[in-house]
Amino acid sequence: MAELSIRGVRKSFGETEVIRNVDLSVGNGEFVVFVGPSGCGKSTLLRMIAGLENVTSGTISIDGADVTHADPSKRGIAMVFQTYALYPHMTVEENMGFGLEMAGIPADERKRMVRRAAETLHLETYLARKPKQLSGGQRQRVAIGRAIVRDPKIFLFDEPLSNLDAELRVRMRIEIAKLHADLGATMIYVTHDQVEAMTLASRIVVLRDGRIEQVGTPLELYNNPDNQFVAGFIGSPKMNFVPARVTGRTEDGAVKLAVDSLGLAEFAVMPRERNATMPETLSIGIRPEHFLPPGTDGAMDVSLGLGAVEHLGGVSYIYTEPGRDGSLTAEVRGLPGLKAGGLLPLAVNPDTCLLFSTEGARL
Amino acid sequence: MKRSLPATLLLGLSGLFLLLLIGMPFWWVVTGSFKLPQEIIARVPTMVPHSFTLQHFAKLLSGSDYPVYMINSLLVAGISTAITLVLSVPAAYAFFRLAFPGREALYRIILLAYAFPSIVVLIPLFGMFARIGLIDTLAALVIINVTFALPFSIWMLRSFFASVPKEIEEAALMDGAPPTVILRRIMIPLIAPGIASVGIFAFISAWTEYVFASVLILSDAKRTVPVGFSGIIGQYQIDWGLLLSGASLAVLPVVILFALVGRWFVSGLTEGAVK
Amino acid sequence: MQKSRSLAFAFVAPALLVLAAILGWPLVSAVLLSLQDVRTIGSQGQWVGFTNYSTVISNPMFWTSVGMSIVWVVANAALQTVLALMAALTLNQNFPGVKIARTWIILTWIVPTVVVVIIWRWLFSTSGGMINPLMMQTGIVSRPVGFFSTPWTAMATLIFINSWRWFPFIALMMLAGLTRIPADLYEAARIDGANGWKRFTRITWPLLAPTLGVLTVVGTLLSFNVFDIIWLLTAGGPAGGTRTLPVMIYETAFKGYKLSEAATISVLATMLLMAFALVATRWLAKEGDSR
Repeated sequence: MAELSIRGVRKSFGETEVIRNVDLSVGNGEFVVFVGPSGCGKSTLLRMIAGLENVTSGTISIDGADVTHADPSKRGIAMVFQTYALYPHMTVEENMGFGLEMAGIPADERKRMVRRAAETLHLETYLARKPKQLSGGQRQRVAIGRAIVRDPKIFLFDEPLSNLDAELRVRMRIEIAKLHADLGATMIYVTHDQVEAMTLASRIVVLRDGRIEQVGTPLELYNNPDNQFVAGFIGSPKMNFVPARVTGRTEDGAVKLAVDSLGLAEFAVMPRERNATMPETLSIGIRPEHFLPPGTDGAMDVSLGLGAVEHLGGVSYIYTEPGRDGSLTAEVRGLPGLKAGGLLPLAVNPDTCLLFSTEGARL
Repeated sequence: MKRSLPATLLLGLSGLFLLLLIGMPFWWVVTGSFKLPQEIIARVPTMVPHSFTLQHFAKLLSGSDYPVYMINSLLVAGISTAITLVLSVPAAYAFFRLAFPGREALYRIILLAYAFPSIVVLIPLFGMFARIGLIDTLAALVIINVTFALPFSIWMLRSFFASVPKEIEEAALMDGAPPTVILRRIMIPLIAPGIASVGIFAFISAWTEYVFASVLILSDAKRTVPVGFSGIIGQYQIDWGLLLSGASLAVLPVVILFALVGRWFVSGLTEGAVK
Repeated sequence: MQKSRSLAFAFVAPALLVLAAILGWPLVSAVLLSLQDVRTIGSQGQWVGFTNYSTVISNPMFWTSVGMSIVWVVANAALQTVLALMAALTLNQNFPGVKIARTWIILTWIVPTVVVVIIWRWLFSTSGGMINPLMMQTGIVSRPVGFFSTPWTAMATLIFINSWRWFPFIALMMLAGLTRIPADLYEAARIDGANGWKRFTRITWPLLAPTLGVLTVVGTLLSFNVFDIIWLLTAGGPAGGTRTLPVMIYETAFKGYKLSEAATISVLATMLLMAFALVATRWLAKEGDSR
């Protein structure tokens, strides 16, 4: 259990900066998830915390001690790799005990510690096997076991579930959540899967181009994103962004909008800051799951062209102009007979809509 | 994939051609070494021997210094292999993983050394070895063989190291293993096939080396098989039976070695080629 | 970081020292030797500047040897590449025994040169060899051919023997290049209706060409250095018909007792080889870029 503090950390390879001035504090027992598109620097940042990548400038400290240039093994951390990175020529027991051996712990005590960790993960019967003789899920467990056995202050996970099939991924996700609850340890977890991020995290860190875009609880990011990037990144299917013209303000500060592509006029959306000045044109963000049946109270009716329809059973997705920029996505329920072609009447509640400037800032 | 009839025919023909091109000479030599002298030089050669005799081998092993050559060669090749491995494994690991100034430049120079005409250094080396009293010693041959096996060995081992996922090394780093331990406990066991390949390569190059052995060794008792054997060629009135049996015996050790770990060697060779 | 740097040096230093002492220093010595007039090993020489170089360059025998080396290298490269390509394409197919064939094809490369020499000397010999009777039975020739008795047949025979020894090695390298071509490319081409020949010319060949280029350069460098096969089979003869540069160097040093002159030839040979390597790698790099 520990606190982690990252201050002004940068990393560059020659001319290219991959991490630009990151500040982040992780509290004791938190489960922090780094998300972002590929190449955003989330794995690099994690590896810098682990000590596997050099830090160009700034400091990383764990429990107040500066570890910026410390050896990975001296930081009191453990890491679970995407490819598991088990030693192929060692048994499960040797794999889990290698770190302890390196720390100079005597063989009999090592054995006891490995056994205890194996019990936590239901691996007792596999201790004599080599990684090759294990299934993907079991290997993943061994990799986690290797981390647990060292009783680290901080656990680092680098996309640990992305090599597993869908069903196993859900199971391991729940196991990791349970592990966090049981151990109460500080965990940092990198993923590109936003379901993992939303379900596991106590806080999510959204990264783009080596910068932190926003830090917050999953629901904060979903409900109150700081910018268009975070709004688009969190939530699936992706949020719709529709261009709109500002036509005036209401008395209580809401912005009156004309949304030509949806045929909406006098659509009054409350901005984040009541008194903020508005540009003439902006984007309005509507999540696909926020489209309502026509005639809902407080909502305004719209008609969406049925360019394509996907039925997922419980819900259906409709796309207005599939494959084109500006195509809108809506999630609807209870319309199993819906076919492409024609128009579908729906409604939008302005209270669920967000406003963004054309540069992508939240308004 | 299904193959059409002409394609199968073509494949069969080229396979047969290769088999004959490579297999026939060896077949003739090995069977020839068991034939009676008159059958060896018969006007109409025989594919399958009609006679069987061990007289050529008997003469070779008791009537010539061939057994001494064999022991010298095994000594030189064995020791050269061991030293090549001891030198090339850490060097290849350092070139592959550890950062130090001049790494790339040095690596390129080593690769260049592989294509270097060895005859160029023969003359100065003879002078050097004469000054330090290494002429006519097996140690001189070991030094030479190690030197000429090193560049290729380092190159090949480096690509084997590269085939180990980086994460495994990182995991060991996180586990607190210093580089020497990572090399010994993690990397070397994982690239065992590569080490076997390099070992075979070093053994074979030492086993077959002729030029330096012919110049640096003066006394008959210290000759290796290639040199001693080429001496036998001239020494006697051409006695094909003796030569064929000697050739068969000289092939034997490398064939045994190759039967045991040849598969690894070939995969090692091709592994290196694609990097 | 400082610690890891000194460790790296500890790892590479032994190997580098050996290479520097046994390859690097002799190379420097060879250059120094070429500027003196040492005749036999151990004797002291005088500094004579570039005299040896002018002697060698004005010696027509040197230029004949350069020509022979070029013939040797080009013919070997051509023959090896053809044989190796055939072998690689064959071994890239699936047939019973292919795994064994992939390992054992290299047999010709792992046996001592002296064995290669005995095999072919016997097979090509006029008495008891296999080739002459076979050729006479099939009516190609009416009386035994002395393969090593005229300069041109000796050269051709040597080229065949050397290529026989080396083509499997090249073939395995090519095979590595071939196995890297994804199988779905061939499947896609089949679905597009390309026949076997078209698949070869439109997929295999263009994708293999870079590998072939590199291998040709490497093969050229390696065959330039071949000495033992030639020395043991013909010793440069008959009538100097197979005296390539390495043979000439050896002869000059150890038969003619003109060490400095031999060193001069070897320095010139190295320069020639390095020039070729430089041009070839430039050309390969350019080809690579244009792809």
